[in-house]
Amino acid sequence: MSITPRARRATKTWSKSGQVRRKPSPYEITGSQFHYHFRREPAPFELSPDTPINEWYLKHREGSPLQIEDWETFRDPDKLNYRSYVSLQHQRETVMDGIVDEYERRDHDATLGADWAATLTVAFAPARFAIHALQMAALYLGQVGPSAFITNAAHFQAGDEMRRIQWLAYRCKSLSLAGTPELVSSTLARNTWENDERWQPARKLLEELLIAYDWGEAFAALNLTVKPVLDIVLNEELALVAEANGDGLLASMQREHAHDSERSQRWSKALVATAVAGADGNRDHLQKWVDQWSSAAYDAADGLRSLLADAPVAPQPALLGRSDIVGRHEAFLASCELGR
Amino acid sequence: MPKLNRSEWYDLTRDMNWTFRYVEEEQVFPEALSNGRGIPAEEWWRWDEPYKISYREYVHNQSEKDESAYSINAAIGRSNHFENLDAGWKSGIVAHYGAIAIPEYLASIGESRMGRFGRAAAWRNMATYGTLDEMRHGQIQTYFPHTLLDKEARMDWAHKAFHTNEWGAIAARSLFDDMFTANDAVSMALQLTFTFETGFTNLQFLGMAADAMKVGDVDFGALISSIQTDEARHAQQGEPTLRILLANGQKEEAQRLIDHMFWRAWHLFALLTGLSMDYYTPLEHRSHSFKEFMNEFIVKQFMEQFRDFGMDLPWYWEQFLEEMDWYHHALHLGVWFWRPTVWWNPDAGMSVEERDWLEEKYPGWNDTFGKWWDVITENVRSGNVDRTLPETFPMVCNMCHIPVCTPAGHVTGHFASPAPLLVDYEGRRYTFCSEPCKWVFESDPKRFAGHKSLIDRFLGGEVQPPTVEGALRYMGLSPAECGTDADDYAWAFPGGAAGEIRRAV
Ligand SMILES: [Fe+2]
Ligand SMILES: [Fe+2]
Ligand SMILES: [Zn+2]
Repeated sequence: MSITPRARRATKTWSKSGQVRRKPSPYEITGSQFHYHFRREPAPFELSPDTPINEWYLKHREGSPLQIEDWETFRDPDKLNYRSYVSLQHQRETVMDGIVDEYERRDHDATLGADWAATLTVAFAPARFAIHALQMAALYLGQVGPSAFITNAAHFQAGDEMRRIQWLAYRCKSLSLAGTPELVSSTLARNTWENDERWQPARKLLEELLIAYDWGEAFAALNLTVKPVLDIVLNEELALVAEANGDGLLASMQREHAHDSERSQRWSKALVATAVAGADGNRDHLQKWVDQWSSAAYDAADGLRSLLADAPVAPQPALLGRSDIVGRHEAFLASCELGR
Repeated sequence: MPKLNRSEWYDLTRDMNWTFRYVEEEQVFPEALSNGRGIPAEEWWRWDEPYKISYREYVHNQSEKDESAYSINAAIGRSNHFENLDAGWKSGIVAHYGAIAIPEYLASIGESRMGRFGRAAAWRNMATYGTLDEMRHGQIQTYFPHTLLDKEARMDWAHKAFHTNEWGAIAARSLFDDMFTANDAVSMALQLTFTFETGFTNLQFLGMAADAMKVGDVDFGALISSIQTDEARHAQQGEPTLRILLANGQKEEAQRLIDHMFWRAWHLFALLTGLSMDYYTPLEHRSHSFKEFMNEFIVKQFMEQFRDFGMDLPWYWEQFLEEMDWYHHALHLGVWFWRPTVWWNPDAGMSVEERDWLEEKYPGWNDTFGKWWDVITENVRSGNVDRTLPETFPMVCNMCHIPVCTPAGHVTGHFASPAPLLVDYEGRRYTFCSEPCKWVFESDPKRFAGHKSLIDRFLGGEVQPPTVEGALRYMGLSPAECGTDADDYAWAFPGGAAGEIRRAV
């Protein structure tokens, strides 16, 4: 016996997702209209409307200058839900396993010099503090995103940052066993992060990023500015320097991480398109935030590049200069139809 | 396989705490999102989780788990498995999805709050896995009911319930927002992970999985047991957080947080799990009574947990133990009577054999609840079903948002008075179902006082027209969606329409 007589018209999807022409994809089914609390009256959450956390969301999410009528129109171009994300990353981690296996079979680390390890001790091991801040900022963006499609993409990005940190830890540990115990000294890494002048622009940038609480600014600062700029150095430039210094393993690892960074840029670009198409002022809001955060991001990148410049062997072609980084960032912004 | 074990490098990913120089610590961890109770940063950095996992292990394991759960679902979707399930069991599943699926997704936001605002890197990493885990739980528990939409239109409520002001949805939203969506990271670690995930989720997920396997609902059973395997990992965020609070003189505060959420979780799960286990699950497939499950998963577990940490049992422990004998029976009677106000079809569960079972599991049931059911049964048998339907609404509690059942507590000998508890606060009167609900309110009135219960809204004119029909519409229930008796009253006619109705003597 069925509980309810079937509806006359067959239901293709959730009643709250509106009319659809065909059966929606798993991505749609598991994301559409999940943020029922966005712009809910009288407050997002079922407590006193003036309880501090309701006010926080009303101010930083509903009250952000970055608004469109319907954020549900945004789609991640990669259409990832949990199932497809873990499946994708299972494949990428299988690739990573294969890269590491291959170098370890050849006893790669024995071929590397102590001076390269010394560079990594200063330029690479402390990067985990920076990437952890990127992870924290992505989790913030996720919890204040106005639709589940935005939230989920940001949460996957946080997972990607954790992935990058863990392989950093793995690389530091494995290389330390070849005779550089300093690589795994947390005291030394923290001291470098907190006191080395070349790390300070990045530290200042990231500490300030953590308190950019308006959701629109959090997005523009993290995904349009800080992360794309720093990832140029942390992934690509580091890979070039590693290669020049005979560390093909590290180079391959960072290039593997670049896939995650590119995915972040794909959904960021799509979100800009949704925002700009959705309301007249949004292009200006985003541009203003990007402008506010850019020069500090370039300063941070300068600091990181000066650390890499101390490597025993300089890469050919040479490391990017500041203007190249600016140019790369501007090209990304132009692909988002932002920038001057 | 990479040559290094996780244990050889993992600590580097935990040693990522530093002192802020360019911004203030209070700006990075504002009280509304991370109430550190004044404990210094370095103390928080001692946070140490007992169980660790790497990202590569995580995605390797989780993709395999998802593939297996989804492939069971796909295989079963092609059969007529669902059509053949017992109607009462299906009601329990429909209730479960509506009350649990979207909250699981909300827990992902709670976890990301701890992932950002937890006060140690090790904690934030564990919460990052939790963020992903709970996204999984929200998505898989909406995807599965979505595959059943063409067989059971009520599955829409897996997604719809939290968009509505249906009273059970308000009760669930109020609980889960208080516990995680609108909670700060530190309180959440105690209230979501320590209090809720180590006990109550076992009750719903392991207990219901046991029943599902007996019922033969492989789809649901495989689903919720797969979900439960994720809980052990992220549920451990509570213990290290509690240890730090205790080491820093915050025992009283920790006790208050736990007592507060334990009671609230108990009330909602009495409603959700209590009814499913003791009334909706077909008798021949009930593995244990709700009370037996409660004793196994909650009472024993918490007594050990409290003892291990030197915590006291909640001050209302005796009342809690007593409520296990009567509270969910009262809720069942009320939910069945007000069945048009819920999104599932309540199963009376009143066959002769079921009543015998209830009397055996809850001695004295016949003399109390049984007598009320006799009246209902007689009305049904004599064709007066309209007398078993509501014309007004009960008061609901301003804390748990569940209808006040104090009269049943009184008649069963547990309360001195049938009257609800009242509190006047800043010019408004609040109604509570129990001393602990009242205590939760009074220990932090600002958090709750501005909120209006469904009945406050009704009496305040927000529900128009102020009739049963108007209220049903306000609750998002179309006439086709209003609950009806799951068995079409067959239970009232044992052995067919001519059968004798058992009378409690
Ligand atoms: Fe969960
Ligand atoms: Fe959980
Ligand atoms: Zn109550």
